[in-house]
Amino acid sequence: MDTLFYALAVILAGGILPLLLYRHFKVMKASAVIATVIGSLLGLMALLPALQDTGPPTTTWAWQQFLTLTFSLDSLSVFFLIPIFLICPLAALYGFHYMDKSEEAWRIAVNYCCLSLLIVSMVLVVCADSLMTFALAWELMSLTSYFLVVHEFHKKETRAAGYLYFVFAQAGAMCIFAAFGLIYSATGSFAFEDLDQLSSQLKLAVFILVLLGCGSKAGIFPLHIWLPHAHPAAPSHISAVMSGVMIKMGIYGIFRFYMLLGDTSLLPGQVILAVGMASGVLGVVYALGKHDLKRLLAYHSVENIGIILIGAGLGMIGVATGNATMAIFGFAGSLLHVLNHSIFKSLLFMGAGAVLQKTRTRHVDELGGLMKRMPTTGRTFLVGSISISGLPPFNGFISEFLIYFAAFQGLTLPGLSFLFASLAIISLAVIGGLAAACFTKVVGIVFLGEPRSAGAGRASEVQASMTVPMLLLSLLCLVIGIFPAPFVQLAFFGLRDMALIGAIEPGTGQVLIGNLAFAARLFLAILLGVTLLRRTLYAGKEIASGPTWGCGFTQPNVRMQYTGTSYAMSIVEFFQPFVRIRTVYSGIRKIFPGHTTYETRVDDIAEIGMHRYLLQPLVKILERLRWIQHGHIQLYIGYIVLTIVVLLLVF
Amino acid sequence: MESLIAFMLALLLAPLFPGIINRTKAFVAGKQGPPLLMKYYTLAKLCRKGSVYSTSSSFVFKMGPTVSFTASLMPLLFIPLAGTAPVFSFHGDVIVLFYIMGIGRFFTIVAALDTASPFEGMGAAREAFFSTLAEATIFAVLILFYRISGSLSLADYFHGENAVSLAGPTGALLLFVIVAMFMVLLTENSRVPVDDPQTHLELTMIHEVMILDHSGPDLALIELGAFFKLLFYSAFITHLLQPLVPVGLLVNGLLFYGVLTLVYVAVGVTESTMARFKMNLVPKYILTSFTLVFFAAILTMGFMQ
Repeated sequence: MDTLFYALAVILAGGILPLLLYRHFKVMKASAVIATVIGSLLGLMALLPALQDTGPPTTTWAWQQFLTLTFSLDSLSVFFLIPIFLICPLAALYGFHYMDKSEEAWRIAVNYCCLSLLIVSMVLVVCADSLMTFALAWELMSLTSYFLVVHEFHKKETRAAGYLYFVFAQAGAMCIFAAFGLIYSATGSFAFEDLDQLSSQLKLAVFILVLLGCGSKAGIFPLHIWLPHAHPAAPSHISAVMSGVMIKMGIYGIFRFYMLLGDTSLLPGQVILAVGMASGVLGVVYALGKHDLKRLLAYHSVENIGIILIGAGLGMIGVATGNATMAIFGFAGSLLHVLNHSIFKSLLFMGAGAVLQKTRTRHVDELGGLMKRMPTTGRTFLVGSISISGLPPFNGFISEFLIYFAAFQGLTLPGLSFLFASLAIISLAVIGGLAAACFTKVVGIVFLGEPRSAGAGRASEVQASMTVPMLLLSLLCLVIGIFPAPFVQLAFFGLRDMALIGAIEPGTGQVLIGNLAFAARLFLAILLGVTLLRRTLYAGKEIASGPTWGCGFTQPNVRMQYTGTSYAMSIVEFFQPFVRIRTVYSGIRKIFPGHTTYETRVDDIAEIGMHRYLLQPLVKILERLRWIQHGHIQLYIGYIVLTIVVLLLVF
Repeated sequence: MESLIAFMLALLLAPLFPGIINRTKAFVAGKQGPPLLMKYYTLAKLCRKGSVYSTSSSFVFKMGPTVSFTASLMPLLFIPLAGTAPVFSFHGDVIVLFYIMGIGRFFTIVAALDTASPFEGMGAAREAFFSTLAEATIFAVLILFYRISGSLSLADYFHGENAVSLAGPTGALLLFVIVAMFMVLLTENSRVPVDDPQTHLELTMIHEVMILDHSGPDLALIELGAFFKLLFYSAFITHLLQPLVPVGLLVNGLLFYGVLTLVYVAVGVTESTMARFKMNLVPKYILTSFTLVFFAAILTMGFMQ
């Protein structure tokens, strides 16, 4: 545990040094990056002895100055620390050349400082061992990420996005504090150990409040509204850290409190499964409807959180019905998907950042032909897209397969659980298909074809500090896909201290995972064979090149290519009651050609619902109280005097 | 050993069966039709030619045919053919196979978008949409088969204990599955009523338009991959229709290929007697197949606790 705190100290130093050195631009950035990388490596080394450990966790560390904070490192914490220490140094390295405006040196220094504070607070959330520690670390995480999101505060939409994120983060924290209040009123202590002594109604209430609070951070539907605004507004490496790592802290909170409460009824599992299915399907449908590159990646985060919650829900149902295989594979698939998603989502956000930096636009319908101009970014983005669609032989498939396996186990259960399990399988299948549709759209429209605007035509490859993290992450995607056994063992290790699941036998799933690895390697072997066959077929043949046939049109134009909007339109229209398509068409009124406009927009029903049913009535009621704010300072002083008098008399 | 021979035989015979479909359609139309071995001549012709590549395309365009051919070849290694066990088989291979077909589809679509042609984009969009809906049907079939046989492997479905067959205790439910899988076959393999393989209008194509810019050996790989995919789906339906008879290998093999030919003839008859649907009715068609199978899966709740 001490090594972990040394690692945190190094990372904090990496945050303070930029503030001192900000006048020397490159030195400042280099110091921040080096300190973060060293700190994360130290952190990973601190986890190694915990991984070898076979017994229950014994390390606790208490800080008893004016607040009692306790930390402990059990297997679930160790597992969640891995994405933090893996992704954050790569994001810091990426930021070296991404933040290249030397006139903004002070702001970039503050950005690096907040990033190191965010890393430290995320580690503290995962290691927290009492209600007070968890709450403190959670609030620190929310505040530092707010400052990271509003890095470009001179833009109005960034400020609006930051404000929305702040409101959601605080509303979520309020729910968590309410849950903690209930716990304290029942048990009288802040320790985690006493949580399983609550009554079952109280357990359910606490679970729902924690789901609302941690879920809004994770981005479940309908509390995901801040995600598609905050992720595009933040700088790309911050989006990578937030989407890859920070929203997983919400998942960690849900898992930890589920484990501590020890509620073995069916209801938590069914609620989580339903929420997961809704987030998964609706997240990917909204992603299809969006054409801002980072916004659609943000909606894909919602979808993958949905998949993680489907796995967790299936695991919880397995625990409730005593089906050990279902419990083990559901939770293991969920945990492995946490790791996999952090890898490929960060990869995709880094790629989007590279595209943004070189072409200055995020709109998919203005890009195109970037594969030839940015070869490394294009190839790694392709790998990330195949992984996120859950296709073999990459890593997304492994975790989705584990979740499928758990769902199929659930088909043998009676009654309602059978329906839930079959709905889970069908929604996973639909999510997979829609994700593939969305990413073929992104890869095809952004990287392939011809550039649709001048900005896209001028793009060139980005610097090494930005391509190296992307290459590393895409290599990791392939490695996990072809050699899944150690990573699945890692996921099983993460479940070791979850008492509800029981002991996991050492040989569980070995045959299954071995077969998956075999299938991936067989696919690659056949692919190699077919490539050689193609090469022999093409030996000595004439190969010419020419422009794409344009149906006989003599002057083809790059604007004739298919656009992302058209590609996705038929799918989005299919999901109509859940997706509001707003069309503004000025119509053709004159006989001769005149000025016409046409605009379609895909609206999120959660946003519309929140606006129409929560905000507008609330504002209407509060308008009645507007008379209190009249501006006369004398009456304001009168209010203060009145309050003091009432407090003195009554209390 | 027999598995490998059966696999090689299936690979060799795969281009014969689309010839049967064309002959059936010609027969229904009162014409003589092309020779049965036409597809072999086509493949040989394509392999003799070179290729023209579009200046807009990149390496992804050249990867499209190889990945889609690999993705169509791999399922044939896992499905029982001609009454023998398949070459490979493991618990959970069905899910892996349908996702392998998914990566084949992914690369076909991005290769189509690589050409910067609006027609190919249109076909790619339709393909992405319809195949997502067909995935729902396929996984509903897998749910039903898991309830019946308790396993997730193609070999176990058709050759294990609790085999899925019309003669088994849950045979009546399989009628739904046969109809639904036939509809999925027509969808996934671009047959009427979802897509007309003989249309000349690019605006109405789905699969044909995605391969419009491929030529030479690339096109030969794509065509052969399409034949393998059709063989896989037809073999699936054949196994549902034909139970495993405990007679010799040769009789089982002949029976298998006989029923397979009947399935292809049925495809040919469907193509001749139905017109292609309007594009906006195709999702309803696919969802009908989903509803049939989901209904069958719900019915198992009644009598299979």
